[in-house]
Amino acid sequence: MHDMTQEDLAQTIGVTRQTILAIEKGKYVPSLDLAFKIARHFNVNVEEVFTYEVESRTVEID
Amino acid sequence: MKKNALYLLIGCIALALLAIFWYSVEIENPYLIDISFVLGIVIIYFARKNVTDLIEDERSAKITEKAALRTFQVFWVLFCVFSISAVMQILRVPSFPRNRTFEHIPNGPPAVPEIMPPRMMGYIQLGLLCLMIFLYVGFRFYYARKYGDWETDEE
Repeated sequence: MHDMTQEDLAQTIGVTRQTILAIEKGKYVPSLDLAFKIARHFNVNVEEVFTYEVESRTVEID
Repeated sequence: MKKNALYLLIGCIALALLAIFWYSVEIENPYLIDISFVLGIVIIYFARKNVTDLIEDERSAKITEKAALRTFQVFWVLFCVFSISAVMQILRVPSFPRNRTFEHIPNGPPAVPEIMPPRMMGYIQLGLLCLMIFLYVGFRFYYARKYGDWETDEE
């Protein structure tokens, strides 16, 4: 859809390519500011780029 | 200035400081290394500001922040544990285990038990401070790995 490399995106929004890669791989959760910058760059809403998943925790009750 | 030039400069400054340190020892003047160290840090600070290809984003800031915090948390526990035992030694708490005693002089005052000389305590505290550097480097590697510093594209 967008013919763009990670390096291009990183340069445009002022982060390192490694940060883009870490976000893609789910290793790093970006701040709201960065999330909005990425979404705005692609002219979409932030929910279209990022999804929020609640971390599931199992609680054992005796 | 490029990033690699900065690293080269830091290396040169470190080597120069090492040489100045030994020269200060030679001439018995600690002020020389003190002033040189501060100057070295100031030079690195201003050189770093002029680096054009070094990007510090929120992820790298988070790695630095986490590593510094964890280093401090581990360091203060270790430092306090040792310092408390050193204070106990100074206060000569009776139940504290004794490994060494001063030589008892016949008809003289009773032998004074001592675990380690106060100077040694200072050296150990200095050693713990140096350990802080290694702790920081270790934690930095850990958090850099955790936040994807060495991730690669698989496709």
